[in-house]
Amino acid sequence: METNIWRKRVNGAVRAISRQLCMLVVAIVIIMVFLAVSGYSPFTVLKGLGRAFSQDLSGTIRWSTPMILAGIAICIPFKAQVFNLGVDGQIYLGAIAATWVALALPENSPPAALILVFLAAAIAGAVFALIPAVLNVYCSTDIIVTTLLLNFVGQFLTEFMASEVMRDPEKLTQVNASKTLPQNLWLPKLSAFGNSSANVGIYIAVAVALLAAFLFFKTTHGYEIKVVGSNANFARYGGIRSSRVILKVMALSGAVSGIIGAIEVTATQHRLIASFNPGIGFDGIVVSLLANNNPLGVLISGFFFGGLSNGGNVMERVTDVPHIVTQIVMAIIILTISANITLKHLKRKKEAGSK
Amino acid sequence: MAFAIELLNITKGFPGVIANNDVSVHIKEGEIHGLLGENGAGKSTIMNILYGMSKPDEGKICLFGQAVEFQSPMDAIRQGIGMVHQHFMLMPDETVLRNIILGWTPKKGICIDEKRAVAEINDIMEQYGLKVNLKAKINQISVGEKQRVEIIKALYRKVKILILDEPTAVLTPAETDSLLDIMRRLKEQGCTLIFITHKLREVMDVTDNVTVMRKGVVTGFGPTSEMDITKLSRLIVGKEVSTKIPMEKFHPGDKKVLEMKHVSTARRPGRMPLKDVSLVINEGEIVGVAGVDGNGQTDLGEVIAGLIPAESGAVFLDEKDVTRDSIRKRRKKGLSHVPEDRLKTGAARDCTISENLMLNMYNEKPYSNKSVMNQKEVLQTSEELCEKYLVKTPDSNYTIGTLSGGNMQKVVVAREFSSSPRLLIAAQPTRGVDIGATQYIRTKIAELRDSGKGILLISAELEEVMAMSDKIVVIYEGEIVAQFKRGEADEYEIGEYMLGSKRQEVLYGN
Repeated sequence: METNIWRKRVNGAVRAISRQLCMLVVAIVIIMVFLAVSGYSPFTVLKGLGRAFSQDLSGTIRWSTPMILAGIAICIPFKAQVFNLGVDGQIYLGAIAATWVALALPENSPPAALILVFLAAAIAGAVFALIPAVLNVYCSTDIIVTTLLLNFVGQFLTEFMASEVMRDPEKLTQVNASKTLPQNLWLPKLSAFGNSSANVGIYIAVAVALLAAFLFFKTTHGYEIKVVGSNANFARYGGIRSSRVILKVMALSGAVSGIIGAIEVTATQHRLIASFNPGIGFDGIVVSLLANNNPLGVLISGFFFGGLSNGGNVMERVTDVPHIVTQIVMAIIILTISANITLKHLKRKKEAGSK
Repeated sequence: MAFAIELLNITKGFPGVIANNDVSVHIKEGEIHGLLGENGAGKSTIMNILYGMSKPDEGKICLFGQAVEFQSPMDAIRQGIGMVHQHFMLMPDETVLRNIILGWTPKKGICIDEKRAVAEINDIMEQYGLKVNLKAKINQISVGEKQRVEIIKALYRKVKILILDEPTAVLTPAETDSLLDIMRRLKEQGCTLIFITHKLREVMDVTDNVTVMRKGVVTGFGPTSEMDITKLSRLIVGKEVSTKIPMEKFHPGDKKVLEMKHVSTARRPGRMPLKDVSLVINEGEIVGVAGVDGNGQTDLGEVIAGLIPAESGAVFLDEKDVTRDSIRKRRKKGLSHVPEDRLKTGAARDCTISENLMLNMYNEKPYSNKSVMNQKEVLQTSEELCEKYLVKTPDSNYTIGTLSGGNMQKVVVAREFSSSPRLLIAAQPTRGVDIGATQYIRTKIAELRDSGKGILLISAELEEVMAMSDKIVVIYEGEIVAQFKRGEADEYEIGEYMLGSKRQEVLYGN
């Protein structure tokens, strides 16, 4: 019976994803029309995506890592009906903390010191996420608004740190960046792909997703999160403290976001740059929604979004399509997929109403 | 005589169950038609089909001889069919007035013509003797009043056919009588009424014809005059049921399971606060609280359970002060609570039956060990509870929202009764539950009492309070105004106290 439940869950995740893949076909058709009308070859999009998932798999893996983690960071609080729109801000704080610790450690620290770097990032992210959570629990402020606004705090704080406090004084040309981290504190690359951008971060992402799945489906914390999300009155009546659950999910979500920041710094940028984050947090919302907030599904949808993201980059590289057009192409894909989700939700609401 | 409604060979299935199997119902124009059956018999399903809320898989609907097909309730309303649901469909944050005129709004230019609406509604209220404060918000009024709003809403839409889905489940005896009067008056004016219920007395009282359903099929129909209570109960449950609850002689223990000393609660919008309530429940005793809905019953249950704080006074559980204890601490000390509103408080709709059953035990061995749940134990116990408490479901992994009201209540009861409590607060334990399940729940309450537990029974059904309680207290405007031992007073005397026309003076001390 138990294996049945697991099979049901995995099946559910797979079905949710495959339904979205059909929407992708629709999106691609729309894009081809758009490209043809704009005077580009309509097949560039297929070329870019094809290459992202075949020849340039390493780039896809590189982008899947933050996408999966951001999806997890969104779906943990979402289960408790808490909306953390501040993942981006928490990523920034994680990146600042990671850089700070990595630069403060002695030059020749062993790679194991990376654990400290990641720990610092997770704590920084969690603390930053707890600010809106505490405000919500004790002052009843709207958590959507506070998390959203704190994104700007995180972003400008990073700019300030990179351009003032932690700025590398020796490199005068690179204005908005910190000193480069020592090489032994770089997150290792995946050896199978040679000298590429694919890194060990993907293992961390997969591990975090599996941990989140374990948390949701196998622990009392997961039970409490689900009960609070489903009916807060009921939870209270049973003696579950919703405020504690809200603090818990926000701290976890912030920690996962912080880890994204640490991976971006230690694996890709190797230093703190002011604008390293292309809005991963908001992509995380779509990733999580796509997977119906199921952490196992997030693994698949995160990988898929990593591919899309990378496909856009590849398109730019291999064709004459300018950057702005690839952004429009990405937007069309995201809009089509989220439209499908919205329609599904509306339909379900209507059905529920008619019961 | 013409048929107002003919439901012909309707079949409707939901995942795992066939709710209606080849059901036909014929309703004559201008009659009160009783639709009887246990919870889950398919009464609500067939009425939702008639009201356009769901579509039948097979079969057709004829209205005054013409085949019709409803896409939505709006179609049904336009054809003059109104429905008062078991679970009310009202907007909690809006006023009574706005709820009534929603979708049927008189307009003056682009503004709502509230004056005209109020005048029209006042006419209706006067004509049928229904009184509600139009300016109150829905979340501030009692369950009984909400129902009156629903009825006025239907009348305001000038319905010719009115479906009442278990309307008396939430009413006091006096309110029930006046509702039955209203129904008769509606009938006199040519309305056709469909009365869904499982209270046989009311059926015998007011209906002209009845249709009885069981497990999704019609088991009998005919004029009420040819039926009697025994025959109807046999059709409903398939066998005769005894309405007597087996109980041992009253043998209270010496220990006080619950003691309340001068408890008052703070004023909350739409709620009657408690004023200086003192109450004692001994081991092996059922104390019944009689009172008209909205006289402080909600606060009484919640202040003991710890859902709301006591403003003054103290609550003792097993002779220990728990006034400052959290909800969980009180539960750990042996408190169980069947809340009065199972949808709002008693269950989480999107969670599975199993998850709903686990609320009191999920963090205890063997269901979890150091925060890791043991799914096998959880499922095994859930299945056992479902079986023991006769919850009708294929298995406990279905979401509880798929269950009918009565079955949902069985899940709540299963959870609260199985945790071997010292004190059980049972607030409206049989509200909207069918005969079989009601009998079962009452028997279980009696069993708990006989095994030495203390029980606080809060019920809007006086009959239930009188049949079950060893001691009856009457609550009126947040105060306990009378106290009787079993058999000391009859329902008429208690009724006078319930309505506030009489009160006893010395109450506390035994």
